[in-house]
Amino acid sequence: MLQTLILALVLATAPEYVFSQEKPRVLATSADLKSLAEAVGGNRVQVESLAPPEQDPHTFEIKPAQLARVRAMALVIRVGLDHEPWFSKLRLPAGVTVLDTSKKVRLLQTQTPRLRAERSAHVHAYGNTHYWLYPENALAITADIRDALTRLSPQDAALFDANRNAFVEVLRKKIGQWQAALAPFRGTKIVVMHDSWTYLTERFGLQIVAAAEPQPGVPPSPAELARLLDRMREAGVKILIADPGSNAALVRQIVAKTGAHEVTLFPSGYDYIRLFDENVSRLAAVLKRAAQ
Amino acid sequence: MTELLLWPLAAGLVLTAIHAWFGLHVLARGVVFVDLSLAQIAALGLAVALLAGHDVQSDAGYWYALTFALGGAVLFALTRGCEAKIQQEAVIGIVYAVSASLAVLALDRAPQGAEHIKQLLIGSILTVTPQDVATIAALYAAIGIVHVVFRRQLIEVSFDPAAAVARKRRLFAWDVLFYGSFALVVTSSVRMAGVLLVFTYLIVPAALAGLMATSLARRLAIAWGIGGVLTAVGLYGSWSWDLPTGPAIVGAFGAVTALVAAVFGLRKLSLRGLGVLGFATLALIGVLLLAFPRMDQPWLDAAEKIAPPVQTLFLTEFERTTRAETLHDIERARAELVRLRALDQDVRWGKTEMDPEKIERLRQYLAGRGEISAGDELVLRHLRTKARARQRWLLGLPMLFIGAIGLYFLEAKRRQRPLLK
Repeated sequence: MLQTLILALVLATAPEYVFSQEKPRVLATSADLKSLAEAVGGNRVQVESLAPPEQDPHTFEIKPAQLARVRAMALVIRVGLDHEPWFSKLRLPAGVTVLDTSKKVRLLQTQTPRLRAERSAHVHAYGNTHYWLYPENALAITADIRDALTRLSPQDAALFDANRNAFVEVLRKKIGQWQAALAPFRGTKIVVMHDSWTYLTERFGLQIVAAAEPQPGVPPSPAELARLLDRMREAGVKILIADPGSNAALVRQIVAKTGAHEVTLFPSGYDYIRLFDENVSRLAAVLKRAAQ
Repeated sequence: MTELLLWPLAAGLVLTAIHAWFGLHVLARGVVFVDLSLAQIAALGLAVALLAGHDVQSDAGYWYALTFALGGAVLFALTRGCEAKIQQEAVIGIVYAVSASLAVLALDRAPQGAEHIKQLLIGSILTVTPQDVATIAALYAAIGIVHVVFRRQLIEVSFDPAAAVARKRRLFAWDVLFYGSFALVVTSSVRMAGVLLVFTYLIVPAALAGLMATSLARRLAIAWGIGGVLTAVGLYGSWSWDLPTGPAIVGAFGAVTALVAAVFGLRKLSLRGLGVLGFATLALIGVLLLAFPRMDQPWLDAAEKIAPPVQTLFLTEFERTTRAETLHDIERARAELVRLRALDQDVRWGKTEMDPEKIERLRQYLAGRGEISAGDELVLRHLRTKARARQRWLLGLPMLFIGAIGLYFLEAKRRQRPLLK
């Protein structure tokens, strides 16, 4: 009797794919991770993403149907660090493997100053979480994904490896192009609205000198804004990178007072390579305009 | 300073001018939260505009917001007729909660605008442009003229509805005019200054003026004065203490309200009541210090900050020296950190040249320096814990004792009095 009960419980909690010959279902918390998982998994896995790229991951609220879907997944891929504060509340069943892709990537801004001599620009407790915007980090992320998928369906190991190698080859070629597009502007000083662009600028040799809204959602104080405007005028900084959700009034004010050129870049997208294509071409265009 | 704060000040004055007037009406009608409710309906309108494919900042977005807010205004005017059956505050609360939730549902389908709508509700008075101020000044002047022309009817409908009914005024029509113009004002103001600041401009000056005067004209004049002065104070505080502007202005209004409330409260207290309050507080904080010496004791922290002997008297000679040295170290580290951070900024902005190796060393040092000072803070906390263990008995017991004796005497005196009579 007890054994049947235990068996029933085990069956009830086992992920769906155990029963069927369907492809293993994989869920990525962001669209970018979905794109990378698809690049590795090819047609042997079915990947979904939880939130569209336009969604702010910090304020995401999971819906009941989504929750049920997440619990039926074989593998959940997440950004990790403190990027998805709601993740710990999902209480995933033991059958779901969770892959945190932040473990092997190169992180920036990991220090947390304790003595606060001034209002500091720090919002991330474990390092800046936008690490997928450093293209080489996709190498470590896709390697992690390949290993996780291989554990899930060992018979496809060779295919996953080949898919990943093909992706890496494309990425390497693309990185060369992006580098060439941005190379003329190496060392250019840039002001960002929010600290999401550290990885991209670090990779392509641009230099972020300040964030206009260090704490997202908290407008800067007048003295801070005045310091920023003075510094920008003094140093001749002509580029302002905004996010799609940036405070439009603040962007307008900075542009009007300093004559800077504003460009909106996307921190997240459905296609990893095209996300960089778009961001790099926008950046190159605005840098060219500012240089004239 | 004037470059950045001139237009926010102008905006604050325009807001004061119109909202103080509406605030007096709103308080008289007893519908304090109508403003939050209308702002939320306007936000719902924006969310729907997003769904329809318009941008939050676009003109279409504004018209959606305004249409929704006007719809809410008509609804509020309608419910006044049923006040005997359902309180108007209940309707206002329901409308608030439901439209906030509907906005969440709408934004779930159009997440790209969520951030902008949130920003609209928070507002950003620091970044208003001269055109913004000119537009709302013109709009509010027009509304003001309508209200001056129809002042007799509008005042009667708000302040003395019974008389208005007796005179066969058309209550519903005047309510629609009132709530409609109010919806227009709220939609436009919230866009510029955010929900919290607009609510503050509406309620605080009018409420404080209500405490100080009885005639409507005088109340309006006082409310205008309070609003103007506190806007300037809040902006100045925001500048000199490096605070976000909108919340700083709300804070200034809040501080003055608390002050006025304290004065009114204390004026009502007799000398005896004051004594009871004082002794009871003394006894209570004495008990807390005795029972939980390791708990945060903010009053003691503050006293130690103002008069260090409150702590140093309870330390040994050696501990006192350690404390002084640690404080000195922290101060020096702080000063150095400020200097090096400024240097780091100068290098970053290209004002000062520095070779890359030195820059790297500077950044490493800045990152490490914080850790060292964190150790110093630990030493201070350890010393404070030691002092607390002694303050526990030497301060806590006497405070409890004095407090209890004081309360006992006051109570005994109160009992004596009826016996004498």
